[in-house]
Amino acid sequence: MTQNTFSGSPANEATTPVADPSRGPRPRSGPLAGVKIADFCWMGVGAVATRLLADFGADVIKIENRKRLDTPRRLPIYKGEVRSYGAEEANPDPNKGGLFNNYSRNKLGVTVDMGDPRGRELVHDLIEHCGIVTENFAPGVMEKWNLTYPELREIRDDVIFARMSGYGHSGPQAHYRSYGPVVQAVSGLSFNSGLPGREPSGWGLSYMDNQAAYYNSAGLMLAIYQRMLTGQGTEVDVSAVEAGIGLLGSDLLDTVVNDRPSRRPDYPRGNRLEHPDAAPHGVYPASGEDQWIAIAVFSDDDWKSLQVAMGDPAWAGEPRFATAADRVAHHDELDVLLAGWTRDQGKHDLMEKLQRAGIAAGAVQNAQDLAEHDPQIAARGTFFELDHPVIGPALFEGFPGQLGTSRPDHWRSAPLLGEDNDFVFGELLGRDADTLAQLAAEGVI
Amino acid sequence: MASAQLLGGSSPVQHLTVVELAQTPAGEQTGKFVADLGARVVKVEPPGGVASRHVGPFVRGQEDVDHSLEFWTYNSSKSSQVVDATQVEDRAAFAALLAEAQILVVEDRAWLSELGVDLDELLEQRPDLIVVAVTPFGLTGPWQDYRTSDLVALAAGGLLNSCGYDDHSIPPIRPGGNQGFQLGASFSWCALLLALIERQRTGLGQLVDISLHESNAVSCELANPYWFYPKAIVQRQTCRHAQPEPTQSALFECGDGNYVYFALILSEQKAWSTLLAWMVDLDMAADLTDPAYQDIAYRQQEFSHVQELIEVFCLVQDADTVYHEGQRRGLPIGRLNAFEDLPNDVHLQERGFFVDLPTPEGDAVTYPGLPYRFSSFETTPGRPPSLGEGDHE
Repeated sequence: MTQNTFSGSPANEATTPVADPSRGPRPRSGPLAGVKIADFCWMGVGAVATRLLADFGADVIKIENRKRLDTPRRLPIYKGEVRSYGAEEANPDPNKGGLFNNYSRNKLGVTVDMGDPRGRELVHDLIEHCGIVTENFAPGVMEKWNLTYPELREIRDDVIFARMSGYGHSGPQAHYRSYGPVVQAVSGLSFNSGLPGREPSGWGLSYMDNQAAYYNSAGLMLAIYQRMLTGQGTEVDVSAVEAGIGLLGSDLLDTVVNDRPSRRPDYPRGNRLEHPDAAPHGVYPASGEDQWIAIAVFSDDDWKSLQVAMGDPAWAGEPRFATAADRVAHHDELDVLLAGWTRDQGKHDLMEKLQRAGIAAGAVQNAQDLAEHDPQIAARGTFFELDHPVIGPALFEGFPGQLGTSRPDHWRSAPLLGEDNDFVFGELLGRDADTLAQLAAEGVI
Repeated sequence: MASAQLLGGSSPVQHLTVVELAQTPAGEQTGKFVADLGARVVKVEPPGGVASRHVGPFVRGQEDVDHSLEFWTYNSSKSSQVVDATQVEDRAAFAALLAEAQILVVEDRAWLSELGVDLDELLEQRPDLIVVAVTPFGLTGPWQDYRTSDLVALAAGGLLNSCGYDDHSIPPIRPGGNQGFQLGASFSWCALLLALIERQRTGLGQLVDISLHESNAVSCELANPYWFYPKAIVQRQTCRHAQPEPTQSALFECGDGNYVYFALILSEQKAWSTLLAWMVDLDMAADLTDPAYQDIAYRQQEFSHVQELIEVFCLVQDADTVYHEGQRRGLPIGRLNAFEDLPNDVHLQERGFFVDLPTPEGDAVTYPGLPYRFSSFETTPGRPPSLGEGDHE
C-alpha cells in the first residue's frame, strides 16, 4: 500500500484536491494483476478498451496533457445539470465529468507535457517500466514523438504496442478523421438501419466506440497472452471501420456473394426480418408516452402462445394469419391489430406476461429502467457504485457477466487530473520530491 | 480442412481445441473469433445441422445446410461434427471430444444435458476447463429463463431506446446485423481471453457466464451516464446521438442520392473556418462570409439557415466527393456506404481487408478479414465447414 501524496505546488492547486489515503494505489487482484500499461488512450474507444483491463487488475496508467484536456473530461455530463454535449463550458472542471469517470475508473492518472523533453524522458521511463503501450491518437502523433514500434522495441524488446484507430495504420485513408458515427457510416452500419424508403435511421450512439473498444481489449489481451507463452511482444493494429464491416452480418454476404444490391426499395427492413420468417416481429406501443415493447414470434407454437396470452381475440384466429408465411404476407395488418392490444398495457407487465407464456418479448428499456426497475440487472449486480472526491458516489456499468475466478477489482473511481503523478513518477520511476515539485511548477507534469 | 491458415509467426491460440455448442451469432461468433486465429474449433451439431444452417440468405438460392450465408457469416475456420444425442455411441464420442478440449462454448445448458453432460459435474471433473456460457440473460437471476432474440436483446438492454427517427410516432428501429448478439460475443471473447490468461498463471479453468442482456445494458454509451449523473433520459434522433434535447441533423443527402454523416459543431472555430473556405471555393457560401458569422453565438442563433445552406452544398455534389474532399480538408465526414461499395474501397483494398474465402465447391467468395493485425503472427479465415465434415477427424 502506498500513500498518495501530492506536491501542493501552485500548478497543481487548481486540479488536485486533498489527498485521500483510501484512493492510494494498491496491489491489484484479478487475472491481469501485475500487467502494466502506459496508456495514451483518450476519447471513447481507447478509454473503454483499456478500462476492461483495468477492471481485471492491470495497472493502467493514463497519460494526459493538462494543456489539452481529454474530451470526456470536458463534456457536461454532470450531476444535477442537464445539458447536451456540445454545450460545454469554456473552462470546465476537469474532475467533474461523469463520462470521464465512467470511462477511466480503476485507472491511475498522470499528466505529462510531451512537448517538453523532460516530459518525454519520463514517458520513456514509464514505457520501459510498463512494457505495454496503448494509443488511439490520429495517425502521426506517436510518430512525432518517436514512439513507433521499432523505436519502442529499442526501449524494450518485448514491448506490446496496441494501436487503435478508425481506418488502421496503413492505406491511403489511414489519416482520415473519424469517431464513432463516421466509422458507422463508412463501414455500412448506418446504411443498414432504417425503414425502407426513408433516410437511414442509423445509430443513436457511438456504437463503434464500444464495439471497436471491445475488439481492442481482445487484441491487447491476445498480445499479453502471447507474451506470456513466448516472451515475444507485438504491434497490434485495429481498424474500427474493419471491425464494423465484420459486424454487418449475412446481409453483407448476400450482396458480395449473391450480387444482391443493398440499395433497393425494400432495404433496410426496419424491425422486420427477412430470414427467418418471423411475424409478428416488431416494436409495439405500450401505455405511457413513447413507451414500447419488442415482440418476436418465430414459430407457429410462438404464435399460438401469443393468441392464448392475448385471450384468443377473433382476429388472431383468421386464416390470413394461420402460417408464418401468411403472417409475413399480412404483417402490416398484423402490426395494427397487435398494437391495438399492447398499447394500453405497461411495458414491463407485458414483457413479464409474454415471457411467462414463452414468447420472446422485451420492454424497450431506457437507462432509468435499467438502473431502477430491471430485476435482472439488480440481481446480477451489473451496475456498481464508487465514490469520487468531486462527483461523489456514482453508478458504473460493470462487466456483463459473472466469472468463476476472474473477478473484477473495482478499487477507485476515475483519477483526478494528475492524481497519481507523485506515485508513478516518484515511487515507480524514482524521481525525488524536489524534482517532481520543479516539474510540476514548470508545467511539465 | 476448414481451419484458418497461419500465414506467419505462431498464433497464441493455435494449440487450443475448442468445442462449440452454438446456433446463434452470440456463441457462433465467439467460436469464430478464436477459430479465425488458428485454434481448432469443433462445432458440434445435431443431425440435420444447427438452426443457423437453416436460415437464409442462401448462396445463389441453394437452400441446403451447406449454403446458408447466415451460417457462413459466423462459422468460418471451424470443423463440424454431428452428434446424435439419442445415440449412446455418439454421446461417448462427444465425451471423448470434450476430454480433448481446453475450452467449451455453450449457449444452452439443456443441450449439454441432452448430450449426457451436466455442467456442474463437468466443472468439478475438469478444473482446467474453460466453459464460456453465453446466454440470453445469464445463468442466474429472475430472468434467467426468459427468451431472447436480437430485437428483444436490443430492446431490453436499452440500446434500442436510443435508435430510430426524430418522429417519435415511429417506434425505435433496430440497427441491422444482429448487434444484440454481437455485443454478447464481444464480451464472451474478452472473457475467454481473461480466463486463458488466468489459467496460464494458475492452471485452473473456470465458468464464464456472459449475459446478452447485460452486454447490451453496458453498451449504450451516453445513455447510462446521462441517467447516472444528471438523471436525464436521452431521446432518439435520426442517425445521430440520442441526447436529452434535440440537436440539428447530421445526415445530408447528396446529389447522387447517397448520404454523408457530418455533425457540424458550431462552437468549433476551426471546423467552421474549414467548412466556410470549402463553400467559398465552390461559390456556395452565400451570406455565410458575413463577418457576423465569425461569432459563435450568432452562428448558433442562425443555425437553421446555416443548416439549409449545407444541405444545398451537399445536394450539388455527390457523396463520394463530399466525403473525400471533406476529409482532405480535415473534416470528420463519413459517407454512408452501402455493402456493394465496400469491396471497391481503395483503402480497404490496399489493406487487403477482404479475403477470398474458399467454398466447399472449391471456388472462392469475398469475405471480411480479421479486424486486427499483429506484427508477430498472421492468419486468414478458413472456409465454413460442411455439415459433419469433421466427423472422422
